[in-house]
Amino acid sequence: MRQVDYGSSLNLIAAWLVALLWFSPLAYALWTAIHPVAYEVRFDLTAPLTFENFIDAWAAAPFARYFLNTVILVTMILVAQFVLCTLAAYAFARFEFRGREVMFALVLVQLLVMPDILIVENYKTMRALGLVDTIVAIGLPYMASGFGIFLLRQTFKTVPKELEDAARVEGAGLFQILWRVYIPLAKPTYLAYGLVSVSYHWNNFLWPLIVTNSVETRPVTVGLSIFAAVDSGVQWSIMNAATLMTSGPLLIAFLLFQRQFVQSFMRAGIR
Amino acid sequence: MKQTRQRMAALIGAVTLTLSVAMPAQAVDLQFFFPVAVGGKAAETIESLTREYVSSNSDVNIEAVYAGSYQDTVTKALTAAQGGKPPQLAVILAVDMFTLIDEDLIVPFDDLLSDADKKDWIGGFYPAFMENSQTGGKTYGIPFQRSTPVLYWNKDAFAEVGLDPDTPPATWDEMVSFGEKLVKKDGDGNVVRWGVRIPSSGFPYWLFQGLTTQNGVILMNSDGNETYFDDPKVVEALQYMVDLSQKYGVMAPGIIEWGTTPKAFFEGATAMMWTTTGNLTNVRTNAPFPFGVAMLPAKERRGAPTGGGNFYIFKDSSDEQKKASVDFVKWITAPEQAAQWTIATGYVAPRPDDWETPALKAYVEDFPPALVARNQLEFAVAELSTYQNQRITTIFNDALEASITGEKAPQAALAEAQEKADRILKDYR
Repeated sequence: MRQVDYGSSLNLIAAWLVALLWFSPLAYALWTAIHPVAYEVRFDLTAPLTFENFIDAWAAAPFARYFLNTVILVTMILVAQFVLCTLAAYAFARFEFRGREVMFALVLVQLLVMPDILIVENYKTMRALGLVDTIVAIGLPYMASGFGIFLLRQTFKTVPKELEDAARVEGAGLFQILWRVYIPLAKPTYLAYGLVSVSYHWNNFLWPLIVTNSVETRPVTVGLSIFAAVDSGVQWSIMNAATLMTSGPLLIAFLLFQRQFVQSFMRAGIR
Repeated sequence: MKQTRQRMAALIGAVTLTLSVAMPAQAVDLQFFFPVAVGGKAAETIESLTREYVSSNSDVNIEAVYAGSYQDTVTKALTAAQGGKPPQLAVILAVDMFTLIDEDLIVPFDDLLSDADKKDWIGGFYPAFMENSQTGGKTYGIPFQRSTPVLYWNKDAFAEVGLDPDTPPATWDEMVSFGEKLVKKDGDGNVVRWGVRIPSSGFPYWLFQGLTTQNGVILMNSDGNETYFDDPKVVEALQYMVDLSQKYGVMAPGIIEWGTTPKAFFEGATAMMWTTTGNLTNVRTNAPFPFGVAMLPAKERRGAPTGGGNFYIFKDSSDEQKKASVDFVKWITAPEQAAQWTIATGYVAPRPDDWETPALKAYVEDFPPALVARNQLEFAVAELSTYQNQRITTIFNDALEASITGEKAPQAALAEAQEKADRILKDYR
């Protein structure tokens, strides 16, 4: 007779419970989005399906434009972050220079400061640069990311020095070493950091709202906010349809690459 | 890197190009921030009114910027102003007037108006709305997106329990006795329909101010530097609100959400609700039963706070911009436009002469409940507004929530709130 393994079945049950709990808001959003308004709080399996909510939501704001803006925004930030953080991390990890520790400490200080505190200062900077109401202005304050530098530096430090020496013996220059040794070995970190960055900037609301004024520059989150009209009661169906629409691409991407993401998080040591 | 930079340069170029093409050379440019707190066509209506104005006034160009909720709008305006690029004009909560004065961001309308205008134009708004727009003898705000809470009731539910469907409760006692009849329980003793719903999430102070006003007490002075939270009558009002659920069992216990209240009313989960008149169009479209709209019930007197937003003119603008701003505000609050706005949203048109327009007359004839909020203005008072308004209202809200959830007794919670408020406001006396 097979011994029942209570430990692992308990684990399994707990995992299912947590998963259900995590999934329930999403399930509710899906339910309200594909049913008429009258079924918002009434669960009836035979309720008629409808796409009306999606059509209404899509028509309520220029979402196509907002989507384009968000995609431009997150791509721009990600590319800039990768370039800047890689170079800075390489310098901090592998070069000896005066003031290195102090400068790295300054970079770490950035992690302690909430971006929201700097809104006024950032706004002043954007104004001085003449960038208010541009997509660049939304991204610029985030491009030199202290978190990214820290994370990549730690990863680069784990790369055995011997690999670098071997590359040097083969005649590789500084940038070639970076390109052929460090970056390939840090791939999981890039993937994990990229996911964190993209989802953060996809969802960022306050700063984009403040620094932009026009449809041409605003991201989806700002467009979404017109549905949150508290005075007249929230229209959950349309709001959830819009939410699914805007978070959909991210959600699908996550489901597709889920395994890689989880693995890279484990390897990169971000929990 | 090079590619990114090129793309950025191209982007910046494209954006500046569109901006410069969009603006004719010598016109006065105005930037105008507005919030939206009701669903439906509010944002669209403001934008189309602005376009209409610009097309008939070629010497002015107005960029109407939707700025999120009320809270987002004031944050955006404050940030932009501190960053050195304030809008010229904004609709911001009437209660933020003292904050804007304190930050030295706005100018009074008086300095920009002729004596005749001061008398006829400013004098032509409902006094109840002006209470939150004037201080120290100056007018800083012009009422625009203004509301007041009213009581909605379900006529079918009234008829079902033998109440006259056309008579809403007129007093606190009636609200309790009607409520007791209206509460319906299923076989297991669970309540399926409550008597009344007074939302208390987020900003419970607003509807609570209805109760204090009815109890014959005001919460603050007009200079915005004194509050009277621990007045025995305020305590009594809070006790009544708590008793509605604890003692009489006519209202669901705990914090009641604003956002779901209209829904609960449509679903028949409550027979009466208190909420803003900004909901009128929503209820009219979605309630599946005949409903009535009434003034809030009375204790010592009728009473309700006003709410909503004012137009403010920002200091850091040229004289031409200020003048153009005043002209625009005059136009958009003029009867024709105000009528259009009221019909689209349910907000209360802020001037008696607005209600004389054929459009509004036809509207209220067709839909008399639209008049209730206006008629209630006679009994309305200023919404709670002081210096350091955000902090003071937070303190007060916390005290109310603590009592509603049963954490603290009303007396103790309010005394503590008053003490905290005094500590903040004494610098302004």
